[in-house]
Amino acid sequence: MYRSIGLGVVILASLIFPAIAPHAEYVLDILFLMLLYGAMATSWNVLGGFTGQVSFGHAAFLGIGAYATALLVAAGWPLWATFPAGGLLAAFYSLLIGPPAFRLRGPYFAIATIGIGEATRLIALNWSSLTGGASGVTLGAAPPAVVQYYVALGLCAACVGAAAWIKRSRFGYALAAVRSDSDAAETLGVNTTIAKTQALFISAFMLGVAGGAYAMHYLYVSPDSTFGFSTSISLVIMPIIGGIGTIFGPLLGAAIFTALREQLEANPFLAKYSLDLSVFGLLLCGIVLFEPRGLLGIFERLVRRGTATTRKDSVSE
Amino acid sequence: MQDTLATLISALLAAGLYATMSYGLALIYGVMKIINLANAGVLMLGAYVTWWMWDAYQVNPLLAPLVILPLFFLLGVALERVAVRRVMEQEPIISLLLLFGVWLILQNVAYALWTGDTRSIETPFVEATFKLGGIQLAWPRVYVFFAGALTLAVLQLFLTKTQFGRAIRAVSQDRDAARLAGIEVERIYSVAFGIGIALSAFAGSMLSLLFPFGPDFGRALQLKSFCIVVLGGLDSFVGVAFGAIALSIAEAFGLRYMPASLQNLISFVVLVVVLIVFPKGIAGIIRSLRRV
Repeated sequence: MYRSIGLGVVILASLIFPAIAPHAEYVLDILFLMLLYGAMATSWNVLGGFTGQVSFGHAAFLGIGAYATALLVAAGWPLWATFPAGGLLAAFYSLLIGPPAFRLRGPYFAIATIGIGEATRLIALNWSSLTGGASGVTLGAAPPAVVQYYVALGLCAACVGAAAWIKRSRFGYALAAVRSDSDAAETLGVNTTIAKTQALFISAFMLGVAGGAYAMHYLYVSPDSTFGFSTSISLVIMPIIGGIGTIFGPLLGAAIFTALREQLEANPFLAKYSLDLSVFGLLLCGIVLFEPRGLLGIFERLVRRGTATTRKDSVSE
Repeated sequence: MQDTLATLISALLAAGLYATMSYGLALIYGVMKIINLANAGVLMLGAYVTWWMWDAYQVNPLLAPLVILPLFFLLGVALERVAVRRVMEQEPIISLLLLFGVWLILQNVAYALWTGDTRSIETPFVEATFKLGGIQLAWPRVYVFFAGALTLAVLQLFLTKTQFGRAIRAVSQDRDAARLAGIEVERIYSVAFGIGIALSAFAGSMLSLLFPFGPDFGRALQLKSFCIVVLGGLDSFVGVAFGAIALSIAEAFGLRYMPASLQNLISFVVLVVVLIVFPKGIAGIIRSLRRV
């Protein structure tokens, strides 16, 4: 009950926010990034969290979506139409790489995905007749910040909504079964390879669409920015910080990641020594060592402790 | 013909190095059943420490392993005691993520101490070449091959002939049975992790003689190591050697038909082809041949 009221308030607030603060361009910019990264983290989570197949190569799908938007806009397509096109391209690319990659399990799959990401980047870099090689592709003009904000809001809401629906569907239970025990899932009649491939397909589609929003915002795509390993790293880090496999964890992780990165880049001392790597590395190690369920897990623990003490108080009274 | 022979020889020389850098990964996996993703960072730091000793203190890069081997062994033992041990009993992906975090931190160490500039070691030895039967060979490549082969031979002797080495192999075969036989499994874990890390750093030190490097140096090599252990099977010494030779030959001949910028793609293509055609790797094929 409280939960749905809280959710309603958040949705309403995010819808009318630009009307209240129409000139807060910087704030809108940060919110845009939080929403975009939230959508990206949610997409990763469908495969990495729900299905337990951690991928270090998801930048490939983001990059395909971003390039699709950049190139199709240059070819005269309207911007809105390029988003689903990018999503579909990324999703079909996932069908190409899913079947061989899913021959590997767990950690083996994870390492092979580093190869997928790297191979995709190299192809983008060397196929210069299509992608413009290392110099990348530049887009014309960006829509106003308010429009961008609503695009990201819609995208993020759609991704989170889809993730929530998947998690509670029969398909979502099949994915959960694959995550906890692949062999047991197989004996229960789940075709694990098909389930994983479907999860990857959905995840890639969402990321492809998000890639379009990425290109719309930055107006520039290059192999190193979109296909880069650092993009894949951030896609892994955000859901883990927030709470892997949950619905709102990736959003929380994306918000924290974006805010933290803004701070780290603004600080000349930290930026000079690229301390962002250490900060995120330590966060990752800390969460894995002490609370694998991420910040949502810590939060839940605190809430439980809070309610436990109130109960104790009422008993003593 | 001459050309093919030269390519083949340089491929074999590279294989010695590939085997060294992959064996650390395979040893840690064999004993602890975890994949050391921090391997990439350790390779990179091994290269940096070698370069830094040469650049700042004029230490001959060939002597660097004398410092690197014990230093990284201790680092590995410490890492195992502080962090890795705590996630051993959890799902494999947890230790992978932990070591991924360690890799990020190691990369940061390199950025902070030595910036993101590309470094390379230039000594007369590094640039020296000689001719053997009309084939031009680089001295550092020959040296690296023999240093790697020697190290692996010593390690193999240690694992097969000494009491402690046998205990390590016992743990990798069956940790519960080893515990019942009175082996202190936790201690074996520390030592095996230390040896694995030291081997990787040693391989990094060798690599610094052959290639320029930066803080992100280890990633492509990590992929090659992984390709090699998938080819050869994660826990067999002979398999690793086979995998290293197969990959380096594929790379050497592949490079004759494609631009050098695509070299790192080769290991990935080999990996995919092997996964589709021989899901059990070369080691699986050898094993099934033996059974027949």
